[in-house]
Amino acid sequence: MLELSGVTKKFGSRAAVSGVSLAIGDGEFVVLLGPSGCGKTTLMRMIAGLESPDEGSIRLGGEEITGRDPRDRDIAMVFQSYALYPHMTIAQNIGYPLRVRKRAQREIEAEVKHVAARLGLTPLLGNFPRQLSGGERQRVALARAIIRRPKAFLMDEPLSNLDARLRVEMRAELKHLQHELRIVTIYVTHDQAEAMTLAHRIAVMREGKIQQYDTPANVYHKPVNTFVAQFVGSPSMNLIAKGGETLGVRPEDVELSPAARPDFSPARVYVSEEMGNETIVVISDGATQITARAPAGIRLDFDAEVWYRFRTGKIHRFDASGKRLDD
Amino acid sequence: MSVIAAPARGRRVPEGFWWVFPSILVLLALSIYPLLYAVKLSLADRRNFTRLLSDRLFFTAGVQTIVLTLAALAIEFALGLALAVLIDSLARGRTFFRTALLVPMLLPPVVAAVAWRLIYNPQFGVLNGSLRRLGFDTSHLTWTSGEGSALASVILVDVWEWTPFLFLLLSAGLQAIPTEPLEAARVDGAGAWRIFCDVTLPLLKPTIVLALLLRGMDLVRIFDQIFILTQGGPGTATETVSLYIYRTAFRFSNFGYAAAMSFVLLAATLLFSRGLLKAMRAR
Amino acid sequence: MKIFRYGAAVIAVVIALAPVYWLVTISLKREVDQFAYPPQWIGFTTTLAHYREAFAGGSFAAYFENSVFLAAISTVAALLAGVPAAYGLARFEWPRKWDERIGDWILSTRMLPPIVTIVPLFLMLREARLLNSLSGLAIVYTGFNLPFVVWMMRGFFEEVPREIEEAAMLDGESRMGALLRIVLPLVKPGLAATAVFCLVVAWNEFLFALILTETDAAMTLPVGIASHVTQYEIQWGVMSAAGVVAMIPVLIFAAAAQKYLVRGLSLGAVKG
Repeated sequence: MLELSGVTKKFGSRAAVSGVSLAIGDGEFVVLLGPSGCGKTTLMRMIAGLESPDEGSIRLGGEEITGRDPRDRDIAMVFQSYALYPHMTIAQNIGYPLRVRKRAQREIEAEVKHVAARLGLTPLLGNFPRQLSGGERQRVALARAIIRRPKAFLMDEPLSNLDARLRVEMRAELKHLQHELRIVTIYVTHDQAEAMTLAHRIAVMREGKIQQYDTPANVYHKPVNTFVAQFVGSPSMNLIAKGGETLGVRPEDVELSPAARPDFSPARVYVSEEMGNETIVVISDGATQITARAPAGIRLDFDAEVWYRFRTGKIHRFDASGKRLDD
Repeated sequence: MSVIAAPARGRRVPEGFWWVFPSILVLLALSIYPLLYAVKLSLADRRNFTRLLSDRLFFTAGVQTIVLTLAALAIEFALGLALAVLIDSLARGRTFFRTALLVPMLLPPVVAAVAWRLIYNPQFGVLNGSLRRLGFDTSHLTWTSGEGSALASVILVDVWEWTPFLFLLLSAGLQAIPTEPLEAARVDGAGAWRIFCDVTLPLLKPTIVLALLLRGMDLVRIFDQIFILTQGGPGTATETVSLYIYRTAFRFSNFGYAAAMSFVLLAATLLFSRGLLKAMRAR
Repeated sequence: MKIFRYGAAVIAVVIALAPVYWLVTISLKREVDQFAYPPQWIGFTTTLAHYREAFAGGSFAAYFENSVFLAAISTVAALLAGVPAAYGLARFEWPRKWDERIGDWILSTRMLPPIVTIVPLFLMLREARLLNSLSGLAIVYTGFNLPFVVWMMRGFFEEVPREIEEAAMLDGESRMGALLRIVLPLVKPGLAATAVFCLVVAWNEFLFALILTETDAAMTLPVGIASHVTQYEIQWGVMSAAGVVAMIPVLIFAAAAQKYLVRGLSLGAVKG
């Protein structure tokens, strides 16, 4: 449905996006995940037509859209700061894409009402953006995007301006909405939890290149290099240098025992954080620190003696350059 | 709110008052007292105010002032906006163009007027000279020396001198508009002209109002350039209200009547300044 | 398409600068060339005679000095009175929004048409025998610049976070000390820009100088230039030389205060 081939964008001598190729299928929800500056927003803006690639091509629904203006691409975008028109009412904001396409006034009103109802915005239609809360503005931005029934949605960190609880709520709403609408969605974020929960597939990016493009499960269980391994999953995967290789173990795969047992190694507790539903324990064997997940209720004091073991089959191996070594 | 405790409720004079006091004194002496003095002057002869109503010269001066203000304002606004949009759209050299375009406004108005007086001279000025060189017949182009063309020529000088002011203000206003709504409009499907009308202009409105009020206020009391360019002439063709007041006070020594007239001008300025203060409050 | 836009911009710049350029050429041309036909834009013989005549022993040297003196004095005086006033309005608690009212009142004095106050001021100065004196004019100019100083500096003070002075005062500093040692260094750029604006306003001012001074001893540069224009035989060379010299400080100052140009011109309303 949406194909990117060899897309490259340079700013000066720095390549913000370098040779990116992606294929996204009908109705898929793809998340571009990566730290600031990795090129994910630039890539999205190129899909939207707000920037043009130096090399490469972009095809949507079989058509080449690389050279086209944003208005000719049939793509809708939700901006990080919502980008609502401050001087127009909510109803006018939502209806603007249709007004620009010269649809009849009555038609526009009907569509606006329909979309507003779906997103719970009906009582706010006569207000102005400055009178709305962050969550409400975000829904207006969404409404403006879906009213056109475009071929694709682009979302640039839409949840990052919301407080933590609202973010989790809206995440679920978005996932449900996309499932209903079945429109190809490309979503940019640096929050790995959002990526994991929302995506059909995640494209992990770093310094302009795609590191791994796969389902959340595969990205989590079979990270292709140490960067992906540490970026996805919280708390991060433990990385331990051993004999020219790097071993990776996720905190939930570190078993702890208060007493010595066969196959377990000794260590001391560096800090223990009780979360209520579980305990995060950081232990130190003298040379390295290892983070482990333990059940709730375990009380470990500073510097207490503790023994640990890595669960068999859950050890990832990476070579000296960070690439995954398959067994 | 300051962490350091404010003076107790009982205090009559706020602590900040003493800091402001010297300035208030100075302004009372130099602005308010003269104003009251002017009232006294104008009331010395009760006929001063009734004379205003039948004074044809005052009426002409008023009309010419209004014509000049409206014409100059309209042209300066249109050109200033066009320039602001133009320079804003350039990828490179913006600072250079901006700086160069500001020069006319920065000059002492007297110097600008002198330059244009030179340029306008029908026989020897470079304007007619260049036009002649290009083959035009300049015998009818009297610019500031001709009764019919003098006011327009003066307006032209003001446009040259003060369009940069509008340009600068509108440019700043344009830059303050957030880019995201503009990008959203592009993605929503609007073309460049549509975006300008639907999004840019409405968001620019507060700046536009401010700029028009500021310039309008100065135009109504225009004096310096006209004094140098034409002294109000030929005849009274370019005599604005300020010039007429000046003539009445300092050529005919009729201070009372001049004071009375200046109150009319004050009233006009008050309209502008109230609008201005309101517009500035709103920011 | 792009070339049309750059072309239009270039044309605009040419229109903006041509008259100024022409003035400069007149100041450098021999009298016989000044009104030559066809007009000579380049390639004429230059002469510094006009500059010499105007300034070396000419009356313009005196006018220049007067302008410099006036600009400096009125700016300093306006700053001395205005900066504390701005601080007082910005920082202290005022009952029932008095600070806004006083601020508005101060600004509105700036909006008075000069011609309204000039007749009374003329008569007042005449009585005080301060006509034709630089001190009289200096007082009047201070009155001009004062509202502007208050209004501009208030904006700058409001941009400094309160906590900084509060920390200083908890450490033992007095209000005045906090202003002098902590806040003023922080608003130095704004202060400089405000000072520059005052200098430029005083330098360019014409109407009051015209009416309140008559003798060479007290005339300022703009008035000096104007008085030479209204005479019968206009010495364009000398006048344009004086004009060019009058122009240069302003351009330098404007370049220095560029960052705050929009703010100053819009009386603080537009934070360009």
